[in-house]
Formats: sequence, structure tokens, C-alpha cells
Amino acid sequence: MSERTRQTKALAWLAVLELYRRKDMVVVFVLSAVILLPLAVFTPFGLAGASRYMNETALLLVWLFSLVIGLGVSSRLFPPEFESRTIYPMLAKPVARGTLLVGKYLGALAASVSALTVFYLAYGLMAGLRQGVWFPVVFLQAFVLHIGFLAVITALGLAGSLLLTPSANLTMSGLSIVGMLFFGQRLPALAATQSLPGRTVLTLIHWLGPHVEFFDLRQRVVHEWPAIGWGVCLVVLVYAAGYAAACLAVAVAVFRNKRF
Amino acid sequence: MDVVTLDGATKAFGSVHAVNGLSLTIRQGEILGFLGTNGAGKTTTIKMLLGFFRPDTGSLSVLGGDPCEPGTRRKIGYMPETAYYYPYLTVRELLALYGGLCGMTKQEIREASERLIARVGLTDAGDRLLRHYSKGMLQRAGIAQALLHDPDLLILDEPFTGLDPLARIQFRDLILELKQRGKTVFFSSHELSEAELICDRVAILKRGSLVWCGAVGEVVGDGERNLERVFLRMLGDRGEEAARQSLALHGGKAGTSPRANDGEVRP
Repeated sequence: MSERTRQTKALAWLAVLELYRRKDMVVVFVLSAVILLPLAVFTPFGLAGASRYMNETALLLVWLFSLVIGLGVSSRLFPPEFESRTIYPMLAKPVARGTLLVGKYLGALAASVSALTVFYLAYGLMAGLRQGVWFPVVFLQAFVLHIGFLAVITALGLAGSLLLTPSANLTMSGLSIVGMLFFGQRLPALAATQSLPGRTVLTLIHWLGPHVEFFDLRQRVVHEWPAIGWGVCLVVLVYAAGYAAACLAVAVAVFRNKRF
Repeated sequence: MDVVTLDGATKAFGSVHAVNGLSLTIRQGEILGFLGTNGAGKTTTIKMLLGFFRPDTGSLSVLGGDPCEPGTRRKIGYMPETAYYYPYLTVRELLALYGGLCGMTKQEIREASERLIARVGLTDAGDRLLRHYSKGMLQRAGIAQALLHDPDLLILDEPFTGLDPLARIQFRDLILELKQRGKTVFFSSHELSEAELICDRVAILKRGSLVWCGAVGEVVGDGERNLERVFLRMLGDRGEEAARQSLALHGGKAGTSPRANDGEVRP
């Protein structure tokens, strides 16, 4: 194992340990599982349509909880370190600032993905018990793309944490991600109806904003539609990797020049 | 051989000159005490030595390299002034983290951790979360993490703060033991008595500039608390005022008043 790998592993391990030793995050995690389980099991009046509605609600909650955990973990990676000065002994070690940032990012991602895995397992098990179909391909694709979503929002939250205060970061990142999730696809059509400079602004947001709607397969899972091609999945994951890398590049540039 | 060389280093934050044309060398195997009042520029100097930022003007070299390079920092151990560590970790986990950052293998970390935990007297508290540690215990954990990778140069920022008398003695012995092993120790402190006891040389900083640097032997041997007198004299007006207050407090008895020509003065 190379030295850089050992350093990255140590930093990632720290982020995962923090998530599970900090009681507030554990509370979010347990509460989420408690809310998801009954939603996935409950079938009002035995109606298929109502059942789908419950599934949709459960998956929406999975998305919201994963957003809270992903952004919550990533936006708290550095501000407490600066505040409590634990960053000093860390910076004094023979670790490059880029490695430090990437290690912490991977830790936040690993922590978020581990929570997501529990959510999906809970949902998948309950849906399987009720419908008799165990983890269909489209469900696995939804999970894989959801990891891509977490990779993007964790990088965004991390970059924001170096530029904004934690509360401002959470608000800005949360609003932009939820906004893009619900309105991202409609931006080009909306831009076409606008005059300059509104059209330019909307077009810029469309190209620069994170297209989190690419990762959303909830409708396919709920309505049991056919799976998408794995090639499409791969392209979306490449987009996630590229977007996360761009956010991390900005974060590394900021972090390298940060004065302590 | 010089382990640290600072040559006219200057660092300003806006209009405040934290360090102003500082020239200083630290020789291999010596213990150098870095003294000064709050805001004198000690911590800024230490941060430059650790590569947290570069001086605006002037140059510095640590162990023959640039401390901004991770390779140079591999040979430096650092203990911060305020010993805040991750409250949700045990000291073993803390050392595992820092050992990993130093690129040590699991086996190396395990061996060094157990040895150091015993050396700083935390064996019984090794599996307790740091949030339950007292300030003195956190200082001990800080010392252990600074020594984990067996550095050649140890930089300690206010290391005696929060230590009880027994821990002070143990820590003093530890520093002297490191010196015997050929390590170089550079520490900032307000504890003049500790500096007088263990330092080979002391450097006094005032408003970012070095005002005195010399061997402790040059001032010791002429009654008690000589270093304190030198220190107060070097502070100028503030020192004179402190000395007057001290004299008044002690009924005009000598012992803390500044005297003329203590050691070498570099304006």
C-alpha cells in the first residue's frame, strides 16, 4: 500500500467514525429507517395505486434523507476543524493538502453511502416482501445512480464548506440541489421564453448546475418500468465523477491558498 | 549543523506585522526556548516553520528543505498550543490517524503508540474517548502524537500549559531525553522557569522582532530568576512597568527588577 493510500485511508476512516460516533447523525439515521419501514410495508385499503403512492413517498424520503446526510456530513468536514484547531496537527503531518481534502471527501462519501445502503436495503426488503419481486435490476440501477448523486452533492458540500459558513453552505447547496432536482429539466424551455440577460443566466445555470435529475430513477422503480441501459448508467456515473472532480478541484485550489 | 534557518523573515496580516525581519538559527541537538509576550509573533513563526504559510519576505529552511513540502514535514513533530483533538476518538485511534497521515504501517503505528502511551502515562486511559480527558491528559496525548513518527525536530507551542507539577517534571525529563538522543527541540513558552531549566539557548521576541538570543548560561549564575529579569528588560516599557509592580508587591525587594546588559541585545 502506497503512502498516499495509507493517508487517504486514515482520513476517510476518520470521517466515517465521526458520523457514527456523533449522536446527532445517528439519530437522523435511525429515525429515517424507522420512518421508511412502515411506509414500505403499509398498503392503504389494499389498492395498488395507493401502494405506489406510498412507495413514491418512501423513495422521496430516501432522497431527502440522503441529501441531508450527504450535505450534513460534507459541510461539517472542515469548519469544526478550523474552529477547534484540530486542523493544525493535521497540516503539520507530511500530507499534501490535496490528499487531505480528497481523503476527507472519500470518507464523507463512504459514510453517506453506508447510510444510503441501509435505506435501500430496508426499502428493498419491504417492497420484496409485499410484491414478491426481490431487488429488480431497475432498483439496483436506482441505487447505483443514487451513489453518483451522493458523489456530486458531497463534493459540492465540501467545496462550499471552504467558501461559506456552514449554515450558508447548507442553505445554498440544499436549495440549488432541490431546485435542480425539480426544475433542472425545465430550464432550457424557460430560458427560451426569456430575453437577455435572463436567458444567459438561466442557460449558465443549466450548464453549470448539478443535473441531479439524471440520477433520479424513482418513477421507474415505483411504476416497475423496465431498466435503463447500463451504458446510460455509465455515462451518468462519468458525469457524476466529472462534476465531483470539478468541485474538488475548486476546493483544492481554495484549500491550498487558505491561511491558517 | 543548523536545523532551522530564518533569514530576515517577515509576515504581515494586513497592516499588522506579526513577524518583522526575524533572523534565527537553531542548531542540531539543542533545546531552544522561544519567549515573548502574547502577540509577539511566536505562533506565527511556528506556523511558518511548519509550512502553514510562507514568509512575505526573507527566507527560511527547516532540516535543509522547504516546510511547505510534505517531505520536509516528515521529520518534524509538532504539538499545538491548544490541545484540541477529536473528542470522539480514543488516544489509540488518534495515534492511528496521525500515524496513517505520516505514512506509517499498522505494525509501526501499533508499536510506537503503545510505547508512547506508556511513556506519557496514559496507559489506563488508552481506550477512553478524548472528550473525557482533562486538559493535562490532552497535553500528554498531544506530546505522544508529536513524537509518533520519531521526528528529528520537535516544535512545541506552549507545551507546559495545563500540566500539573508531576507531569511538568516528566515532560521536562522527556525533552532532555530527546536531546540526549540527538533530537532538536524548539518550544515557545511563557514559563520562564522551565525555559531556564532545560534550554541551551533562548530567543526573546518583541512585536515580531528578535530582541535577544543567547545561551541560558550567559544569564544564569547571578542569583535567582535571571531569565525573568532579562525578559522584563527586553520588553522595554511594558517590562519596566511589570518590574515596578513586582517590586511594589514584594515590598521593594530585589529579585525581579530588570538589570542592565543581560546578554546580547540585537535591536
